[in-house]
Amino acid sequence: MITLTLKEEPSVPLEAENISPDVVASLGHDAIRALPVFLGKRRRRLDDFFEVEGAASDEISVRGNLRKVKWIGRNMTRGRIGVVGDVGMHLGSSMKGGVIDVTGNVSDWLGAEMRGGLIRIRGNAGGQVGAAYRGGLRGMNQGTILIEGSAGIEVGMRMRRGVIAVKGPVRDFAGLQMKGGTIFLLGGAEIRTGAWMTRGTIVSLKPISLLPTFTYACTYQPAFLRLYARHLATLGLSIPSGDGAYQRYTGDTSGLGKGEILVWESS
Amino acid sequence: MLRITGGKVYDPANQVHGEVRDVSISDGRIVSRIEGGRTIDATGMVVLPGGVDAHTHVAGAALNFARAMVPENQRQAVPFLHTPERRMGLGGLTPTTFATGYLYAGMGYTTVTEAAVPVLSAKHTHEELRDTPLLDKACLLLMANNEIVMDLLETGETERAGHVVAWLIWAAKTYGIKAVNPGGVAAWKWGKNAKGLFDPIEGYRNVTPARIISALAEIIDGLGLPHPLHLHANHLGMPGNVATTIETMKLLEGRRAHFAHLQFHAYGGDDWPTMRSEAAQVADYFNAHPGFTTDAGAILFGNAMTITADGPWQHLLHELTGKKWGNIDVENETGCGIVPYVYKRSSLVNAIQWAVGLELLLLIRDPWRIFLTTDHPNGAGFWRYPELVQLLMDRDYRRERLKALPAKAQKRIVLGDLDREYTLSEIVTITSAGPARALGLAQKGHLGVGADADVAIYDERPRGEALFKTPRYVIKGGEVVIEEGQVRAMTEGREFVVRPGFDPQIEDYLRPLFQQVYTMSFDNYPVEAERVHGMQVAECRVSA
Amino acid sequence: MTCTLGEVKNRADFILYWGGNPAECHPRHFTKYTLTQKGKFVPQGRKGRYMVLVDIRETPSARAADLFLQIRPGKDFEVVTTMIALLKGRLVNRAAVEETGTTIEQLQELVDRMKRARFGVLFFGMGLSMTRGKHMNSASVLTLVTELNEFTKFVAMPMRGHGNVTGADMVIRWTTGYPFGVNLSRGYPRFNPGEFSTVDLLVRGDNDAALILGADPGATMPQPAIEHLKRIPTIVLDPKVTHTSRLSRVHITTAATGISAPGTVYRMDEVPLPLRPALQSPYPTDEEVLRRIRQAAAAKPPWTPASNGTPLSA
Repeated sequence: MITLTLKEEPSVPLEAENISPDVVASLGHDAIRALPVFLGKRRRRLDDFFEVEGAASDEISVRGNLRKVKWIGRNMTRGRIGVVGDVGMHLGSSMKGGVIDVTGNVSDWLGAEMRGGLIRIRGNAGGQVGAAYRGGLRGMNQGTILIEGSAGIEVGMRMRRGVIAVKGPVRDFAGLQMKGGTIFLLGGAEIRTGAWMTRGTIVSLKPISLLPTFTYACTYQPAFLRLYARHLATLGLSIPSGDGAYQRYTGDTSGLGKGEILVWESS
Repeated sequence: MLRITGGKVYDPANQVHGEVRDVSISDGRIVSRIEGGRTIDATGMVVLPGGVDAHTHVAGAALNFARAMVPENQRQAVPFLHTPERRMGLGGLTPTTFATGYLYAGMGYTTVTEAAVPVLSAKHTHEELRDTPLLDKACLLLMANNEIVMDLLETGETERAGHVVAWLIWAAKTYGIKAVNPGGVAAWKWGKNAKGLFDPIEGYRNVTPARIISALAEIIDGLGLPHPLHLHANHLGMPGNVATTIETMKLLEGRRAHFAHLQFHAYGGDDWPTMRSEAAQVADYFNAHPGFTTDAGAILFGNAMTITADGPWQHLLHELTGKKWGNIDVENETGCGIVPYVYKRSSLVNAIQWAVGLELLLLIRDPWRIFLTTDHPNGAGFWRYPELVQLLMDRDYRRERLKALPAKAQKRIVLGDLDREYTLSEIVTITSAGPARALGLAQKGHLGVGADADVAIYDERPRGEALFKTPRYVIKGGEVVIEEGQVRAMTEGREFVVRPGFDPQIEDYLRPLFQQVYTMSFDNYPVEAERVHGMQVAECRVSA
Repeated sequence: MTCTLGEVKNRADFILYWGGNPAECHPRHFTKYTLTQKGKFVPQGRKGRYMVLVDIRETPSARAADLFLQIRPGKDFEVVTTMIALLKGRLVNRAAVEETGTTIEQLQELVDRMKRARFGVLFFGMGLSMTRGKHMNSASVLTLVTELNEFTKFVAMPMRGHGNVTGADMVIRWTTGYPFGVNLSRGYPRFNPGEFSTVDLLVRGDNDAALILGADPGATMPQPAIEHLKRIPTIVLDPKVTHTSRLSRVHITTAATGISAPGTVYRMDEVPLPLRPALQSPYPTDEEVLRRIRQAAAAKPPWTPASNGTPLSA
């Protein structure tokens, strides 16, 4: 286990894509300390900002108020990053495997264009969770993102596969231009959920406002959700399947319209 | 002062084919001898005139619009990091201006032709070209859908049309005339396209694509422009368009003409499923008519960015592929359509297109008349020219690549029957000497005394494998601008323009008409000479 | 799908302004480009054109409109998305449409009229692009216009803000590959609106210095952004002493471009126009000041050895 403790809060964002199991797993202590991080336009050393303990491990613990530290866990394929504190943008961007666990809040672009692995946030997330970068055709394509708190706009924007589950409320455009995968909104959402989705499933446990381009299909108890419920329970999330049913809405009719939004209605 | 010694010099314009000899440079030109100065030992290397690209799209309104359309491409593009010698930028299919210069010069190219400039945004094109370092440039002005000209042709006022065209060339500070889908882009202003070569354009009775083509060719010859009509013919990209291409060539028989990206115009068949190569038919006709030049417009499998004034074709491409689509119509003049595209080896159509480009290059016998291009970025990024060079010089490699095509495609093409291999001299001809001559740039494309000292030096490789990829040295105007892969200088390059003769009274005609149909002051329309960096006015040769 | 303004003047028989107030914000738009001009193919001028204004309140521009459609604030995206569905003949939810302040019938009629146009143009202003939904609002009208091209010729154009915002966009695009929100810290251009766009940077306090040219964020930005500008070294170049100047460390008065300094401006349709100064100014141009700053910075030891920038590539 490698432990990085923030000793100096960066004044401007610190880009730390080298804090990743793939990078540090084979490095000795001195090499880890010397890893480049980028403070604005200046190239600095990891140990300018962090106390470094340990070496040659694919488990990293990062501690402190890291809200201005960006790109941690980028492209990782293995191992574990545990963050104790808040952390900045692009956490787990394009990750392909491994686990990221955060005790505090995260900023925008969590798990953007993720390809696999598991991310768990105990606090709140920002916008563009599991989303595609601007202009990109595809967001998250595999993997699981769990958020205990709330999240911002464009959660799961253009996602293609994978699961995002948020306990708290999310803001506008959850599932924007979704192409596949599943989003669980346990705390509901603000407006424009599922806008322009072509495929995929959004499950909301609270009533939500829907665009005019979503039409009511039926009310039922989807079998696949019972399977999902069991899977999510192992991750600490519970979605109901008894004492009620889901209203199914299909849309977005302004496009391909093979997406579905399931809204829980308790009996 | 610079002397290059010990290298094998390839200068086909001066009948030098690999002789070991010195090249001496002084004051930006090739000279016969010098005393002192720097010596570059080019032993084991080949010494070529700098590359001349006859047709590319690297600057201006259409390019800039394309840049905005694809931030996801920019993100994946090769970044150019800022150094004291080099400005930062991004490569990819719509490179930023500084990167364009570095990428071209990084292959050993020293002159490029920006093939599509609207008069209305010519100032923009010149601003971008000024920010494109290490290259000399020439611009071609879009004219075949200019409504003022078309209206004059409608009423039979061909002579006045000629004065307008001449005035416009100088107003825009450009080098030659580009015709794209004549009449078709004008029809696209109403959502339509040109039909047959001899069918009137939407809104006209007497103006047909054929009329526009003939009139422009005649006007250009009358003005004595150094480069002939540069024509993107009607029906680009459509199966069966070989008929239109041959008809167009017949129309221009007896005149000089340059056929742009001929690959896109050499298809047989009745529809997409029956499409086939008709490169042989086109090449036969072309070979028999010495007044024509052409550039290949070859495609390579992989990503491309289609950017062309052919608006209606681009809308069709968008409908066929569902890909992003951008379009700008330019008042009274032209337009452009942009669709990002991917050429796939597994696609029957794309496989045939790949073969057609190579077939034309192999079947057209005279390397002085066909030039190596990919209609960048429509067919492939220009930095992939080395891949084409290898396919042309190495028949076994070509045959191997051919085998990877779908079986169905292989029955629609003749590439497998073609044995020809290009020699290095021929490659130099199609990438430098030939384009320079066709463009009328007498001081480019060769290493004779008096030529501009634009020289590219590469390690000698068997069969030109990866020939252009990493020059050891690139010299521009006598200055070493790239050395061992490093940019050494920030030379800005010059722009060639022509000033054809016209009756100054044509402005009295144009001014009130302009105020009626345009949306700016007539005085703001022309490009002031100060805006054209390093402007060099070339001569027009009006015959008696 | 767009065009230059002359195409609108010469051809447009249907003009829709969405979320803009040209009568007050682009005062010569109607008279020079869109409504009253006699176009080459619209010789009847105003009588040959039909103008629709869509906005959340009735502005002076509504007086010039043949049809004013008032929609509820924050509902533009819903309305446009509905119109796209109606254009394709798809189902929409009646109650949800009525929440926007319109009806299915109203929107269907508008869509049908747009389909019947010979040449339609949709101008969209900051009432669309800067309200809830932002870039998705803009994307929605661009998508609607693209879809309309199945039926007829239709174009869209943004109504740009004042100053040379289009020109800045153009130059930044050709030199960096992106239109705005560009970060050059790692030695090459990177783009991410929301991360690198100005208001977001300032609100978060992600920068430690600011050079402001031709803009007045101190007058328009949210309070946290203004507080941050006060805290950090801020330099302003402007012909006037602005709100931002008052909270900056250094204000340098420069000549007003277009009035006493030459240059090039790019019109909202991306057409370049020369600026010929009519007056002289005792103050240096922005360009002169920036050159001198650059020269002074160049005289200092270089901060970027070639190995500093390491691409954060995908």
